[in-house]
Amino acid sequence: MIKEVVVASGKGGTGKTFISSNLAFFIRHHVNKGVICADADVEAPDLILALGGIREVIRERRFYGTKLPVIDYSVCIKCGSCVEACRFNALRMSEKGPIVDYYSCEGLGTCSLVCPVNAISFKEKAIGKIIVAKSGVNLLTVTGDLEIGESNSGRLVYELKREARDLAVKEGVNYVVVDAAPGIGCPVISSLSGADVLLVVIEPIPQSLSGARRLIEVSEKLNVNWYVILNKYDLNVEFSKDILNTFKSKVLGMIPYDFEVIVSYSKMTPLLSLKPSSSTSNALKKIFNNLFEAMK
Amino acid sequence: MNKVITVTGGKGGVGKTFVTVNLASVLARLERKRVLIVDIDVSNPCVSTLIKSDVERRKPIKVFRPKLLNEKCVLCGECVRHCPVHALLLIPTKKLIFIETLCEGCAICLYVCPVQAITEDERTVGWINVTSERNLTRVIYGELVPGNRQEGEVMERTLEFSKQYWDNYDYVIIDTPPGTGKGIMRAIEESDLILSVTEPTRLGLHDLKKLHSLVKKVGKYEIVVLNKYGIPYGDYGEIENFVNSEGLKVYKIPYNDLAIRSYFEGKSMLEYGMKYETLKGFREIANDILL
Repeated sequence: MIKEVVVASGKGGTGKTFISSNLAFFIRHHVNKGVICADADVEAPDLILALGGIREVIRERRFYGTKLPVIDYSVCIKCGSCVEACRFNALRMSEKGPIVDYYSCEGLGTCSLVCPVNAISFKEKAIGKIIVAKSGVNLLTVTGDLEIGESNSGRLVYELKREARDLAVKEGVNYVVVDAAPGIGCPVISSLSGADVLLVVIEPIPQSLSGARRLIEVSEKLNVNWYVILNKYDLNVEFSKDILNTFKSKVLGMIPYDFEVIVSYSKMTPLLSLKPSSSTSNALKKIFNNLFEAMK
Repeated sequence: MNKVITVTGGKGGVGKTFVTVNLASVLARLERKRVLIVDIDVSNPCVSTLIKSDVERRKPIKVFRPKLLNEKCVLCGECVRHCPVHALLLIPTKKLIFIETLCEGCAICLYVCPVQAITEDERTVGWINVTSERNLTRVIYGELVPGNRQEGEVMERTLEFSKQYWDNYDYVIIDTPPGTGKGIMRAIEESDLILSVTEPTRLGLHDLKKLHSLVKKVGKYEIVVLNKYGIPYGDYGEIENFVNSEGLKVYKIPYNDLAIRSYFEGKSMLEYGMKYETLKGFREIANDILL
C-alpha cells in the first residue's frame, strides 16, 4: 500500500517546501524506506532545489493539458450555437464567423460538440512539462513546470501525481510526499484528491490561520485526514497558543524560527542532513515520528 | 488619470500583501492620494482584514452545474463519455453520480443527454466583496468558496468588476497570489507598473526569475522590491547579479524587528511611527511612482 502525504497551506511562504524536503529525507534516512517526491507547485516549482537540485534527469516529457478550438470558416454557417453554448464567454460572432478569445477559453470542447456542421476542431497545446529526476541528495523526484501565463495547472498536477504513483509502484516504494501549491484552488484540489494525509503548515499570524481553515474545509470535503504543523511558533508565542488551543491533538508539533533554514536552501541540502542534531532538526524528527505514529 | 500597479512575486510568503498594505498606507496617509486595493488572492484574501475595512457590497460568482433528473435518466452513459473532467460517473444499470468538486461548468452534459435528464442549474463558486472607504482607501476582494476549482474565474471576474471603480482613485494596487498563472498575467496586462517582491533566498530568486519572464513577455515596466533585506545568511550576490544583468531597478525593504512585529501583529508600519528605516523604503517607492 502506497501512502501519499501532501504538504500544503492556505497561505504561501509558511514552510511547505521546508517540511516536505525534510520529510522525504527523514523517510529515506531515518525510517529507511523508499520515497518518491512530487512537486505539485507547478507555477513556482522549488522542491528539487531544496533537495539538492537536479543530479540526473531520468525522463522528461511535455504535457498537453489544453485543447484549443480551431474554426474552419469555409464550413461555418454562422449559426451562433457555439457562442451561445460557451460558458466562459470565449466566443463572439464577427463578420466571418465566431472568433475565439484564447485567454478565456478553457478548452473543454462544448463549442465543438454543439456545432451542427462540425466546423470546430481541436488542436492540442503543450502547457508544461513533467520531469522525473534524481535529486542532489539522491531522492527520486517528479517535478512539473507550468508554462508562464497558463491555466489548467490542476490537470498537470493530476498527471504529475499519477507519474509519481506509477514510479512508486515500479520502484516498490511505499511513500509519496507531495509538496503542494499555496492556496486552495485547482492545483491544490488535484494534490489532495486520493491522498492519505494532509499536513497543514501554519505560521502564527491570522492570515495563515484563515488560509489553514479554508484548506481544512477542502480537505474534509475530499475526505482526506489532516494534521497541523506549527512553524516559526516563537515569532508570536501568544498567537501560537491560540492555534494550539484551536487544533489541539491535531497538532503534530511546533518548529522554532531558525535562520539555518535559509542556509539549508542556500546550500540546497535538507536541514536534517545539514544540521542533524540542531534543535530545529530535533523538532522535525519529533513531528515526523508523531506523523508515522498517527498513520499506523 | 490613475496609475495601476500589480504587486506580485512568484513565491509565497515573500511579502506581497505586506508591500501592498504599506505602500497603500504611505500613498493614502502621507500623500493624501485615493487608493483602491484589488485583492485577487482569492484562495486566502487578507488585505481587508489587515486594513480593517468593512464589506458594504457583495456579489456572488456563479457557474453552471448540472441538475440530474433521475426519473428521466436512462443510464446510457453519454454524459459520462463526454464530460472532459470526469465529473460524472455511471454505476451501470444503477445510478448516475455527479462529483461537484471535479466539475468545471462547461455544460457539455446538458447538450449530449438524449432524453433531457440533465437541466441547467448553478452554483456559487466565489464572491466579490467591496469594502467601504476608510482613510482614502477602499478594498475590493475576490473570495473562492472552499472546495471549488474556479480560482482563475474568480480572479478574472473580480478584476473585471473592480474596473467600474478605477476612475475614482489615483492609484489602483492589485495584490496577487503567488505563482505565474493566467490570473496573474491578466493583472499584469492591466497594469502600468509591476512591483515584483522577492526575498534574498535561493527559492525567492528562482521564482522571481520565472515571474520576470512573464512580465517581460507581457512587456511591462517592472521594479523589484527586495524584502527582508539583511536577513542572516541571505543569498545577496545572486540576486544582485540577476537584477543587474536584467537592468531592473531595486528597492530594498530592510529586515528588522519593526518589520517583523508589524507583520505578525497585522498592522501597517505607519502605525508604529515614521522614523524607521523600513518605512523609508516604501516612501522611496511612493516618490518614484507619484503622479
